[in-house]
Amino acid sequence: MESMEGPARPPQSPAKFVSPKVVALYAMLTALTTAVTMTLVIPLPTRGYYNVGESMVFFAAFTFGWRAGMICGGIGSAAADLLLGYGFFAPITLVAKGAEGLVAGILGNLKGGAPWARIAGIWAGGSCMVATYFFAEWIFLGFGVALTELPANVFQVLLGGLIGLMLSQAVAVYRNPRSKQA
Amino acid sequence: MTGFVDLFTESNSALHRMDPRVKIASVIFLSLLALIISELGYLLVLAGVMVLLLLIGRASFSKTMFAFSYVSRVMLLIVVLWPIFDPSGTPVLLEFGPIKITGPGILAGLATAVRVFCLAAVWYVLMFTTSQRDLVRALVKLGLRFDYGLSLAISLRFLPTFGATVESIKDAQRARGLELDRGGVAKRARNYLAVLVPTTITALKTADTLALALQSRAYGARADRTYLRELSMRAIDYVALVVVVAAFALPFAAKYLLSMPL
Amino acid sequence: MIPRNRALPSEEKIISVRNLKFVYEGGVEALRGINLDIRSGEFLAIVGGNGSGKTTLAKNFNGLLRPTGGTVRVADKPASELTVAQLSRIIGYAFQNPDHQLFCASVEEEVRFGPVNLGYPEDEVKAKVEHAIEAMDIHSVRALPPHSLRLSERRRVSIASVIAMDPRVIILDEPTTGLDAGETKALMAKVSQLNREGRTVVLITHDMRLVAEHASRVVVMSDGRIVLDSDPRGAFADLDLLRNCSLVPPPVMLLAHSLAKYGVPRDIISPQELVMRIVLGKGDVR
Repeated sequence: MESMEGPARPPQSPAKFVSPKVVALYAMLTALTTAVTMTLVIPLPTRGYYNVGESMVFFAAFTFGWRAGMICGGIGSAAADLLLGYGFFAPITLVAKGAEGLVAGILGNLKGGAPWARIAGIWAGGSCMVATYFFAEWIFLGFGVALTELPANVFQVLLGGLIGLMLSQAVAVYRNPRSKQA
Repeated sequence: MTGFVDLFTESNSALHRMDPRVKIASVIFLSLLALIISELGYLLVLAGVMVLLLLIGRASFSKTMFAFSYVSRVMLLIVVLWPIFDPSGTPVLLEFGPIKITGPGILAGLATAVRVFCLAAVWYVLMFTTSQRDLVRALVKLGLRFDYGLSLAISLRFLPTFGATVESIKDAQRARGLELDRGGVAKRARNYLAVLVPTTITALKTADTLALALQSRAYGARADRTYLRELSMRAIDYVALVVVVAAFALPFAAKYLLSMPL
Repeated sequence: MIPRNRALPSEEKIISVRNLKFVYEGGVEALRGINLDIRSGEFLAIVGGNGSGKTTLAKNFNGLLRPTGGTVRVADKPASELTVAQLSRIIGYAFQNPDHQLFCASVEEEVRFGPVNLGYPEDEVKAKVEHAIEAMDIHSVRALPPHSLRLSERRRVSIASVIAMDPRVIILDEPTTGLDAGETKALMAKVSQLNREGRTVVLITHDMRLVAEHASRVVVMSDGRIVLDSDPRGAFADLDLLRNCSLVPPPVMLLAHSLAKYGVPRDIISPQELVMRIVLGKGDVR
């Protein structure tokens, strides 16, 4: 009879890959960001549309950290641009939302995610996003367009930050501890 | 309408058959080309080339119209707003207060708008003629690590699923009296949570199951994998690549080395 | 003896559908001309194979889908004049996947969501919530987050959140999927209770045993049309029809059919009835 050595450890993967949990989680968060960006749009009274995808960047950053916020928020949003037909925006979006997720994730998780930290994260991350879009639009589309888009982008960040924060609070209830039910 | 029109369309054009790596390279070089050219005349030529590519790729008219609906709005904004902020050159056509509308200003605005068209078109041609699977494979072949590529591929595969889930959840909550199109900003934010929370939790639960599925399929046992269909460059792919690089390099040289007005 | 002490349906037609047609974007003809009157207080089962149009029909009742042809009347008003939110006051719809509806921090908040949306005053909301929690027996978990519960409990929370809106009609879309036998029995007992209280129940299912045990009327759908509309006995008598619709009658009925040549009547819908008929001869056991 074999001696019991305690819980068996799964063999280490010989390939230097990130864990399957990360692959799966990041895939889901990215897909979620893209799907939400493409399907949930709120028509604003004054101008065009506000897309709820903004909140997913903050959600990923607050709940899963700056790496998730940067990668999933950045790639997810950029993919939405590609799939909606304005792929030339994708590189800009990648940088803008990636920076947003990065900064929001670092600042927003300070002191275990204290309220002031979250707000700092939204403010700083949002500023990165708005600034990136503003300067990119100035260069590529002209100062006029950049200026017109500015207030809308600011509003989008504020609303996205708010919803993203509420979302991360709502989901936190389920994550620790989660009882193993069907 | 929501954006889940799959841009990729099955067809057998020359562009569909081209190696996706060449197509990606083309997008990069042609985008750079659009960015360095600033004369309206040459940009229009480039735009013509883009339209030609769309035709070669047998782009569907309706999908193209859908994709360009947003871009055309941006182009219009540029044409209208650019001259207001660009008072350079002569002749001055209109003047009120600090704002000077000049001929060159208008032309610059038009040029920028055409450039945006070219940029949008080249990306659109890529998305239109390349399946998502081929895109990811091209990236992996170009050096993207397999696990990242896998995550990307899984993400793309779940897009339509999540799109459907979001719609289903919207329906389910509407059946409980939720009205997504009413209310001030604060109310709407709360309303959207009723859709976002179930969607997110569903996604996270799927992630858990997926992680298990990956492990049970020997994820990580090898650093690479074999594919049923390998990507390989044909002679015509190399030719196309050379043409595209030349298409960029020659104007680049003309403009920056020979100082020709481009 | 099959206990069927439910209130008799009244003559009022709570949902009335005439020549209803529905075509999905992309051209799929899901409903090809449905005529149906649902009477207040009925326990109606809508059955049919996958793709027969059951869910499409139900979604036309509460406005989630609007007809491409024909009319829908709810409580004697044209449904086209009412928004989904307005229709949700009259018709409650419990979705097949409860996880698509659950999002609050606690069961209690979840159940409150519907009536609050409908704008009821606070004391009425409290009363409706209490009633719904009692009806679905979820009092013990009312403070827990819904997603931490097991499937049968999540189902009950989802149904409770619909009941709390106090609708006259409750549509249940495959509510027993994924439940074991005990959980199914418990849930259906509560659903029956709802019907006894006077609510119209529309049960979408392909479990014919449930239909036999609970429904007072069955509508069989196939390929976008109603192919049979009768009480359960009438529905189960036609085995060929059921087979063509990918439906299997309860085993006891198949048994009765096989014993038909020995004089056993075909329209048996419960084991007790079969025993009565065989053991006691041709007694009337209705």
